[in-house]
Amino acid sequence: MNRIVLVLALSMLVLGGAVIALSQRPWAPRADVVQPIPFSHRVHAGVNQIPCMYCHADAGRSSEPGIPAVAKCVGCHGNRIAGGGIQPVTRAWTDDTPAAFEIQWNRVYTLPDFVRFTHRPHIHAGLPCQTCHGPVQTMDRVVPAFEINMGFCVDCHTEKKATLDCVGCHH
Amino acid sequence: MREGPSISRRSFIKLAATAGAAAAIPGCEPAARKLIPYVVPDENVIPGVPSFFATTCSECPAGCGVVARIREGRVVKLEGNPADPIGQGSLCARGQAALQGLYNPDRLARPQVRGGDGALRSVSWDEAGKMLGDRLAAASHAGRDRVAFFGSPQGPTLRKIALAFVGAYGSSRAIFYEAINQEPARVAAKTLFGRRALPSYRIDQAEVLISFGADFLETWQSPVELARQYSLFRTPHERHGTLAIGRATYVGPRLGMTASKCDDWIATAPGAEADVAWSVLNVLIKQRWVTQNSGLDLAALTRAVANFDPAATSARTGVPVETITRLGETFGKADGALAIAGTDDSSAHLAAMILNAVTGNFGKTVMFLEGSPAEETSTPDEVDAAVDAMRGGKIDALFIAGGNPVFTMPASARIAEAIRKVPFVVWAGGVPEETAAMANLLLPAHHPLESWRDTAPRAGIRGLGQPVMQPVFDSKPVGDILLAAAAGSSSAKLPWASAADAVKAEWLALAPKAGGADPEDFWVSVRREGGLFEEQHLAALSLDASALKAPAPVAAQPELSVYAYPHLFLYDGRGADKPWLQELPEPVTQIVWDSWAEIHPETARKLGVARDDIIEIKTEHGAIEAPVLVESTVRPGVIAVPLGQGHRAYGRYAKDVGANAWAILAAGATSAAATARATGKTRTLVSPLGKSDMMGRSIVEAMSIDQLARGVVPRSEAEEVTGPFEMYPPWKYPGHKWGMTIDVNACTGCSACVTACYAENNVPTVGKDGVDNGRIMSWIRIERYFPPAAEAAQAPQLYLAPMLCQQCDHAPCEPVCPVFASYHTEEGLNGQVYNRCVGTRYCENNCPYKVRRFNWFVPEWPAPLNLQLNPDVTVRGVGVMEKCTFCVQRIQFAELNAKTEDRELRDGEVVTACQQACPTRAITFGDSNDPASAMMRRREDNKLRNYRALEELNTQPAITYLRDLYREKGKA
Repeated sequence: MNRIVLVLALSMLVLGGAVIALSQRPWAPRADVVQPIPFSHRVHAGVNQIPCMYCHADAGRSSEPGIPAVAKCVGCHGNRIAGGGIQPVTRAWTDDTPAAFEIQWNRVYTLPDFVRFTHRPHIHAGLPCQTCHGPVQTMDRVVPAFEINMGFCVDCHTEKKATLDCVGCHH
Repeated sequence: MREGPSISRRSFIKLAATAGAAAAIPGCEPAARKLIPYVVPDENVIPGVPSFFATTCSECPAGCGVVARIREGRVVKLEGNPADPIGQGSLCARGQAALQGLYNPDRLARPQVRGGDGALRSVSWDEAGKMLGDRLAAASHAGRDRVAFFGSPQGPTLRKIALAFVGAYGSSRAIFYEAINQEPARVAAKTLFGRRALPSYRIDQAEVLISFGADFLETWQSPVELARQYSLFRTPHERHGTLAIGRATYVGPRLGMTASKCDDWIATAPGAEADVAWSVLNVLIKQRWVTQNSGLDLAALTRAVANFDPAATSARTGVPVETITRLGETFGKADGALAIAGTDDSSAHLAAMILNAVTGNFGKTVMFLEGSPAEETSTPDEVDAAVDAMRGGKIDALFIAGGNPVFTMPASARIAEAIRKVPFVVWAGGVPEETAAMANLLLPAHHPLESWRDTAPRAGIRGLGQPVMQPVFDSKPVGDILLAAAAGSSSAKLPWASAADAVKAEWLALAPKAGGADPEDFWVSVRREGGLFEEQHLAALSLDASALKAPAPVAAQPELSVYAYPHLFLYDGRGADKPWLQELPEPVTQIVWDSWAEIHPETARKLGVARDDIIEIKTEHGAIEAPVLVESTVRPGVIAVPLGQGHRAYGRYAKDVGANAWAILAAGATSAAATARATGKTRTLVSPLGKSDMMGRSIVEAMSIDQLARGVVPRSEAEEVTGPFEMYPPWKYPGHKWGMTIDVNACTGCSACVTACYAENNVPTVGKDGVDNGRIMSWIRIERYFPPAAEAAQAPQLYLAPMLCQQCDHAPCEPVCPVFASYHTEEGLNGQVYNRCVGTRYCENNCPYKVRRFNWFVPEWPAPLNLQLNPDVTVRGVGVMEKCTFCVQRIQFAELNAKTEDRELRDGEVVTACQQACPTRAITFGDSNDPASAMMRRREDNKLRNYRALEELNTQPAITYLRDLYREKGKA
């Protein structure tokens, strides 16, 4: 009898573990990441009205939107701003021998390796960035607004009559 | 029996699984992926968008131009440079596999010094440089010519650097060594025309071609260029009022890929090709099928060929008299003919040149160009002198950079013994090979794709090799190592600081020649174009009449001889460290990851051996052991062995694979008298091949040129095709419907397409055992079949054609997939969704073309080979089915380009990897919905030759093949 209970309990544990393991997709957008610089999208994109593609300039011509180079930060800020945790930027710029890869942003949005997402056609189709990324201009620290899963993509593709061909993204 | 704790196997597994799941829960959230910004962005790099650099190929002396595709700073694919007149946008399998030389995991990572006990110790570059400088200085103090450079030719600038290096240490010993050189051809040209230059060829300007042992589609001289010319030569066109194709004959001991694409193979013993060549000349002269103004003294020529009456030659070589006279007749009467030779004796080359000269073909099908570049390779005499000097203790310091002489030099040179006499040997290179094993100091050198260099393959063509990425390892360019060492000498006065400076200086000096452009503009333009390509004029020829002396014919052939030929993919052995090339089936034998001894069934009977029995082949120079392959693709009495395998070092992929055939040859020879005996051992020769007989099915089809001229479509014995049968409404393709046309007549079997596919689509290699277990992963392969003996007269010598997913409309794979991983796309592809696939393999079982591949294991790319992976294509994991996608990532890329530019996709904008690589343009890809597309026009223009593989199965493939063309045997 005891053994049956034990086995049942263990099975439940296995099942529960499996459910938890499977529901935690490693590529799901992450709300818990801490960035190396307390960069505020609210200040930049919200208050100062800087267009998204001023910094993420490759979104219209590449699969990747691009992370702005240090040179771009310095272009506006100059070397003057010292506070607010911007030191990694100024250090990378002013130091003659900057530490390799000093600034390492943490990805908030990731996709699994079997998905080929390309920003370019989405920008070309005139989609606002907020469609997928949410009201970034209101966020001090970017957190995911939507869970980007296949349903999320397919709903929009269906609505906009875009391709629903599997190999469009899976190849 | 002991009473154990009461836990059953079942509960144990459950417990174990729980523990596993519990362990996985905290770990299933991996650390966030990183995004690392540039400090200052590179204006040429957009992450996610490829950039392209023109450079040159260094894998063989042909010197094709290359365009390297770079993603995020690493090169992911090599393709031909369309601006380059040699390759014209194509690149062979070996050239493309240079990537795996660059990313080879066994490359030397840091400088190493060999201690007294033979063990290697890593040192810093500074230490290594100091050691090198000290030893060189000591050597030069001991006297003149005590320092030597020995390397493979790496272009005119590196040659100058090497000469400056030895010069700085009071020496003039610099040897540029190429194991497979064109010495016999140069000797013949020197004899006849007084110049050691190599001619250029125009096979496409000929009607008749005879090759005396020249594997011009495989490894001889410039295979990509010659294959392209050959496909034009074999394209049916109107001639003398009828449809015709060029007539080609191959004379030599083995039916290799080149011979198999010719009309006839005249099997001779190795060395007898020259006899046949002179005999053909005899026929021409006797019949007066010669031009009057060839500049040759006919009387002298008549005397020269007196010993080569067809009857006499026939008696010596076993080639029938009629064959020789017919060869002479077709050659003499042709409007444009070409004879080429690839044997190891210059007399066949001389005969071939005279054949071309007496028929007035110089300047038409074969030509010497004005301003031929300086000879790159040292002559065999110079090499011998250097080796003798080493052996005589006259060299104190030897710098070796390439060529791997310990492996490629024939046993008779006793090179290892000579190197041992040199007190200090420096080796600079990539993967340490047999020669590195003898060096005192090993230096990691840049791969050619990481270095500045140039090439001058022939008059009018200069290729500029620029580095295409940052070095993968802590290596330096060979030129920089040499210059740094030379700068350490007190007497040195060097014009350049680095190899990069040297190349730029040499090229800027060419600027005035190129129309006086601004030097900096010129420098930009040559880097963009990949070199400087100019029209060149024919050289005026003067024949040396005294040269017209034929050699004394060789009377007797040895009863058994061994014939060694460069492996199509491994060449002289340099390809053996690349898994793509090891796993690429040699097209005629279909063998992978091994050496083999190819013998005729008759020879096998005499030796009492069967396939896979290991025989020992012994010549006066040495002995090797190799498993036997019994095929009638070789002349009786000849053992054909490929060169290139049998490495004792050279990395994990090359070491201890097969046998080194160089070890049984004499210097400069490709054959030797041999004895063979069974050893009693066996080793399975591994091949992915199913059957060699098509069993009457229509997989590769052919028709004769007569049938084509008469408009008769041949019917195979396969079931009559009753036309497309539809049970369901046909698919609708409102947009594009992708299709392919493959001209089997143009396909040579060179497998450039296969390597291109491996590179483009992240196809893994599985090793010898994997192939033996039927787990080869190639998405495209070369099918090879022998025609049945009864039909041999009405068939090509071999059936060779690429086989890939046919992207069927009625795809047998699609309906059997239980999870819809295999489905039909709206553009007519048989899509395969990896993340849906659960690995039932039903689709693979149901595919009649056997083109689906299953991942039995987690594919492996030992670092840094993984850096080559194409980021646009998913790397498939274990348990997933995969197959040809028609390069759907390229289709996507082109479609998105068109879309973002608000225009329609243009025909020819999507180029699949296989199509791009093909030297003969056998593959055309395009939209079946567009009747004007090049792909559809090719079908339409060759209506009579259209067929579909296994059409009787009603699979409705998207690929249409064009039948191979052959000439019925015994027909003029």
